[in-house]
Amino acid sequence: MVLKSLKYTLKTALTTTEVTRLYPEVMMELPANERGIHELDATTCIGCGSCARVCPNSCIEMVPYKYGNPLKNRKMQFPQIDYGRCTFCGLCVDECPVSCLKMGKRTEIAGWDRKDIVYGPDRIAVKKFSDKEVAELEAEAKRQAEEKKKAAAAAAKEKAAKAKGKENKAKTKPSEGGEA
Amino acid sequence: MSAIQSAFPGAVLESKVESDRRLWITVDPKRLVEITQFLRDKKDFDHYSGAAGIDKINDNLFEVVEILTSHGAHQVVVMMKVKVPRDSPSVRSLTGLYWNANWYEREIWEMYGINFEGHPELYPLLLPDELVGYWPWRKDFKGYPDTTTGERAIEQVGPDGYTEFKIMPHPEMIKAGVVPERPKYPTFREREEAEIKSDSEMIMHMGPQHAIVPGPFLLDLLIEGERVKKAFLDVGYIHKGIEKIMENRTYLQGIVYTDRMCYLASITNNEAYCGAVEKLLGITPPERAQYIRVILAELSRIQSHLLGTGEFLTLLGAATYSPFQYMIIDREDIVYLMESITGARITHTFVRFGGVRNDLPDGFADKARPILKRMRERTEEYMDLLHSDPIYTRRMRGIGVLSPGDARRLGVSGPPLRASDTPYDMRREDPILVYPDLDFKVVTRKAGDAEARVEVRLEEILESIHIIEQCLDQIPDGPIQEKLPKKIKPEPGEAYYRVEDPRGEMGFYVVSDGSEKPYRVKVRGPVYAYMQALPPLLEGAYVADVVAIAGSMDACTSEVDR
Repeated sequence: MVLKSLKYTLKTALTTTEVTRLYPEVMMELPANERGIHELDATTCIGCGSCARVCPNSCIEMVPYKYGNPLKNRKMQFPQIDYGRCTFCGLCVDECPVSCLKMGKRTEIAGWDRKDIVYGPDRIAVKKFSDKEVAELEAEAKRQAEEKKKAAAAAAKEKAAKAKGKENKAKTKPSEGGEA
Repeated sequence: MSAIQSAFPGAVLESKVESDRRLWITVDPKRLVEITQFLRDKKDFDHYSGAAGIDKINDNLFEVVEILTSHGAHQVVVMMKVKVPRDSPSVRSLTGLYWNANWYEREIWEMYGINFEGHPELYPLLLPDELVGYWPWRKDFKGYPDTTTGERAIEQVGPDGYTEFKIMPHPEMIKAGVVPERPKYPTFREREEAEIKSDSEMIMHMGPQHAIVPGPFLLDLLIEGERVKKAFLDVGYIHKGIEKIMENRTYLQGIVYTDRMCYLASITNNEAYCGAVEKLLGITPPERAQYIRVILAELSRIQSHLLGTGEFLTLLGAATYSPFQYMIIDREDIVYLMESITGARITHTFVRFGGVRNDLPDGFADKARPILKRMRERTEEYMDLLHSDPIYTRRMRGIGVLSPGDARRLGVSGPPLRASDTPYDMRREDPILVYPDLDFKVVTRKAGDAEARVEVRLEEILESIHIIEQCLDQIPDGPIQEKLPKKIKPEPGEAYYRVEDPRGEMGFYVVSDGSEKPYRVKVRGPVYAYMQALPPLLEGAYVADVVAIAGSMDACTSEVDR
């Protein structure tokens, strides 16, 4: 009886391939859709905050960050994730309307302090603009804003004029009707 | 339905036939026991599945829903509702008819304050004796100290200069009568000490932290010599109030909490919750998503059985061939397969309303087939190994025998019930997803002892492998997610959905009031039923066998204290 169990022990020892992981030196192979630390594409994030709203533990906060696209993200707000509370459920990733938030294969988050594991947009961003591009984009945003302002002012003027015209018409119309 | 109406004219106030397997009736509270007895004796409703309390504060009503099913005679689930006024809530207890109604009614009583007339022991079950304030799951419960004011803890500087934060009430507040006082009951300790009748008896504590318990729960044994005379169970050490938390989260966020009830069965918990909400929303997932869900549920069953059995064998002292290490090695492969689909190892949050989160990775079938083949060989090896081990056989055979009648009466489900010669499997009884298209057999054993329970689990692994292989062959191409409305807001209504957990019957009862958040979520877990059945099972056993009996049930405290 004992021999039989020893036989299985031997068999397992000889046939099973390596079991122990050489972890700090060799990281285990993670599957393609591993849910690890987030990866933010700052160039496409629109700062809508839907990730922050859907998070069951409210660990996502929207904070200002410089290297995004001011054309799309007007308030320049980007997610900051508190990994002390994150459960890696992935609801934020599913909810993102522009799919700029993903979860990657990075999994090591240990830090000395609780603040160390609050990852701001600079730490989770994998794609961001350079200083030069940001300056260009900002200039572009400014130009567009001014243009828009002008357009809005023009539109307002036109509207006001139209409204005036309408008012005049409206004023005249009932009187006409009344006369008829 | 018509049979009830003709037998009890005027007693049925409302009724609805949802499908050929679900029947909702509202009955007169005065005639509840009569009707239940009729259903049990004449209509084969011999399985009391559970009960839920609902606080309908807008209608000034409490509702108690009794879930009655049958052990294989038919597939109808009766959801029998009783409405009682909120001022003086009192319902007749069903403990006289169904033994296992005891804990369910106790829980409703301690959470909602609904009195159960004729209940033998209305003591707190999950809540601590020190809790301040009444009936925490009522909708108008504010918490103590009043959580609506935001003031949670009281700062007190002691004479030694240390600052302490106390949540307990101030003595002055007690004097002023601001603190609601709970009625006094004998505590757990007092109740069990009252049972000591002579000097030759003593109480032995196993737990709350003990090697045999899968989480913290207290198992106190009243022993005389080597025999257990009576066993007492105290649960609630890690009560998380998940059902109440889910009332304050949106439907989508609720999925995350179902994972945390039991990490070995997180996929089936997801499945049960999502299934209930899908019923409310009136959608069915596409076929490919259903296959993916079945594959994952079965993988989850395999890894749960492996860990449960391996851990249990370690407790028995099966050290010569270290089965725990073997099983952990094999489980690693299965967990890796699951991780490659869901992206997480144990808390998956993978099932979505009307679909799944993502598709199978490329080449999944090619990766899975060799692992499953190896798994099958290994499981057969384990069965051979355990059969040939004399120590194992002696410690397990004929120990903790649960006769078919007793098993049904105690309300257990899953492998322990099937080991007692009752082919009761939710995949057959209440088929969901694509299970009707798949070929599998319900594993049963005649003996009903601890050995049979482990055998059933090991053989179920083989069945699961068979199911997954069929799924891999049959899985069609197509979408994996049904179109959903932007905001998930089901119509007001209620749904009960049950699945076969690795451990037994897992049901979710979800009530919607038309808002973004569920009005009430009730979890009917399998381990809750096992735990309740543990004291009668241990009575008369030897102390040395307690480990074998309690361990062979494969319990999970986290789910009892959900």
